[in-house]
Amino acid sequence: MTEWKSMDIDLLVVGGGPAGMAAAVEARQAGLQVLLVDQRERLGGAIYCQPDPGCAPVAMSARHRARWQALSREFAASGAAVEFHTSFAGLDSEGLALLERRASAGEAGRVLPVRARAVVLAVGAVERIAPLPGWELPGVMSAGGLQMMMKRRGAVPVGRTLLAGSGPLLLAVASQMVALGQPPVAIIERARPFGQPAELLKLLATPGYLREALAILARLHKARVPVLHATQLTSIRLAAGGGLEVECRGQGDERRFSVDRVALHDGIRPNDFGLPGGAATGGPVLSRAGDCREALGAVAAIEDGKRAGREAARMLGLKLPAMSLQPVKRERRAQAVLARLFSPALTTPPADLPDETVICRCENRTAGDLRGLLAGHDGLSAREVKLNGRFAMGSCQGRFCADATVDFLRRCGAGAEALEASHLTGRRWPVRPVGIATLLAEGGAAADPASVIRIEEE
Amino acid sequence: MLSPSFHNDAAPPVNDPGHVVIVGAGIVGISAAFFLSRRGVQVTVLEAAAPAAGASGASDGAVSVASKRPGLMMQLGLAGIATYRALASGGVLAGEFRERPTFIVASNAAEAEVLAEHAAALAGAGVTVRLLARAEITGLLPMVSEEVVAVARVEGEGHAIGYRVVERLARAGRFTLRRSAPVDGFVRDKTGRVTAVSTGQGGLIAADAVLVAAGNGSERLLGLSGALIPRKGQLLLTERAAGRLGAPAGPLMSSRYLLSKGAAKGGPADAARSFGLVIDPLATGQFLIGGTREDGVTNTHNDLAAVRHILREAVTLMPDLARLRLLRAFSGIRTATVDRLPIVGAVPGAENLFVATGFEGDGICLGPFMGELVHRLICGEPAAVDINALSPARFTPRAA
Repeated sequence: MTEWKSMDIDLLVVGGGPAGMAAAVEARQAGLQVLLVDQRERLGGAIYCQPDPGCAPVAMSARHRARWQALSREFAASGAAVEFHTSFAGLDSEGLALLERRASAGEAGRVLPVRARAVVLAVGAVERIAPLPGWELPGVMSAGGLQMMMKRRGAVPVGRTLLAGSGPLLLAVASQMVALGQPPVAIIERARPFGQPAELLKLLATPGYLREALAILARLHKARVPVLHATQLTSIRLAAGGGLEVECRGQGDERRFSVDRVALHDGIRPNDFGLPGGAATGGPVLSRAGDCREALGAVAAIEDGKRAGREAARMLGLKLPAMSLQPVKRERRAQAVLARLFSPALTTPPADLPDETVICRCENRTAGDLRGLLAGHDGLSAREVKLNGRFAMGSCQGRFCADATVDFLRRCGAGAEALEASHLTGRRWPVRPVGIATLLAEGGAAADPASVIRIEEE
Repeated sequence: MLSPSFHNDAAPPVNDPGHVVIVGAGIVGISAAFFLSRRGVQVTVLEAAAPAAGASGASDGAVSVASKRPGLMMQLGLAGIATYRALASGGVLAGEFRERPTFIVASNAAEAEVLAEHAAALAGAGVTVRLLARAEITGLLPMVSEEVVAVARVEGEGHAIGYRVVERLARAGRFTLRRSAPVDGFVRDKTGRVTAVSTGQGGLIAADAVLVAAGNGSERLLGLSGALIPRKGQLLLTERAAGRLGAPAGPLMSSRYLLSKGAAKGGPADAARSFGLVIDPLATGQFLIGGTREDGVTNTHNDLAAVRHILREAVTLMPDLARLRLLRAFSGIRTATVDRLPIVGAVPGAENLFVATGFEGDGICLGPFMGELVHRLICGEPAAVDINALSPARFTPRAA
């Protein structure tokens, strides 16, 4: 271990999930000097999230485990430098990549400016959650968040859990809960995935997915987990005696559940909020890899990461052939089948959301506020929605509300057809709020490069 | 200077100017549209992007004369504050104008000397200002650093958020507002009179009078070559303090800001980039911290060096700020002029073409007042303040 003497590096990879790891491996093989940073303390990202010390890992399919083990081995042998507890705060207008190293025992947090020739952003996907009355209450979380808790702790949080929304992740989470001995109360799925036999047959083209799906369904069936299709949550309320009172509506019938926890999920989308796009003058060659470029899952992420690592080397002038996009295309087809199977049979049109439904949780802005903003304005610009409506202006900087706000505007506002979530979230740094003390911390200043990054010398 | 009841003046003008086209939906253009439309004048506002998309939506919102020297700009600033007060109590800007003092802060003997001189000048211009005694500083501003040696408390100041003022006036006015409608020129008759405005989509909009309030975009439209200077300002916004730290009753302005702005005697000439420091406690519990003055820069980026410099100075003045997170960094492009005075009035050579721009960092303070003033010019009525010194004729002396 030697002190890193300069802050100049060939390739900065942001994100230690499958895409970032694969990009780093490929770039190292091409001869680039690579620094990979991850905001957590271990590699794996969300999909291969490893358990906390002393906790048991959750069950993983054999092919899944084999893929992770192979990638881990390749990465460990690659010689890429890794910094944990470090997240990407953005790219400043001078092309400096700003890395925020979180405070840890005995060390204050600080921002490290790094000059990289190339940057691969591989920060994964985030879940979509469609707003409904009560989704902001304590006890309501995302299904992906619940899954991460289980992966880290090897246990399900105690109490009655209802899974709701749409998408194959709900089934996977339920199956993991069953395996850990605490099945969910039920799965409330908007779509009717078995209502489309022609689409189901297409899964035969990807036997890996099919095998996994059958194993999950068998496990849920055996544990008698109720799966309600074509059904959606209409409201969540705090119950008088504690816990949550949930109402849902299927075709013609209504049902209620009393639970301790609701885990919502409505699919995933790239985690590209606020990320820089074009290169700044004199700045690094920028690219995105894996789910943060296109949310297609772990298999595609590894392939896309390799592509991005190779592409970074090519962009920096190394003579190497481009990589085939074939494996990514195959995954894209498989994901498209899943997307059609889980194409919701029911969705509450935004126009039907009660006025008091919270859309922006940070600034507590509601569907009623959005309606008021729209009244009398045609062709409302994203800027007005932000400045006057305060949507996408809070601490989360639009992560939780930009999609829902844009969906609402497109369907309810005249002249808003061309609005996109990225118009609300913009491109800026800091990508997330960063401590002022952290930003000013000594040692992170350009005047003191020697103390910054330690890198393994070959 | 101003009739206290001007905001109720909705009587139709004696000479109706006809269809008035206003180029630019910033605070000046929208204010003029508001005042014209409430007197029954037909108005169309053409906006290249969106309301408040330029400096009006990326400014600190100071409605203040604290940094001004006695003279015309001070007089205009005071009229600007009076206009806010009237519009707030009169209804249309109710709740949008927050009155509070400004604290100008000196951190060493040299700054204290400049500050004392500046305070005397403010007082001479009729501004209520008081130098605080040491004990008062500790009592009133316990959050400022112990290095602070002198504070001037300037009364009668306020804060308004530019884009909210624009939104409020746009909703209250009865005029047509077209977004994404850039203007690329005028059609004139033989006398030079403007008869129509040409829009980016190739269309023509007939006009009986035209007001250009397009900030830096005004230069190209009016041929004011070399008169305007884009001057970028980087601004920082913290998260909500939510009671975690004490906020002053009004903004803290470093007296170095006086030097940076060149408002005090002996201030440096404009450098390509200079810094001033204002820490503004917002109603939301957030702090707005600025900023830079970067001449000729038209990008709205932020760079680490500038952000760190601003934050370092801010934390030096108010150490508790280090406990908050930076939520957002952004930039606005002011429209400055080479002689530091705005450009307001009839454009020589075209009797029905008017301009109101070049307010630099005073657009929010002066916007509603200037809108009121320009609406009178367009209606052929006398202005409340002599603004001959602001005439565009000083930049277009030979226009026919």
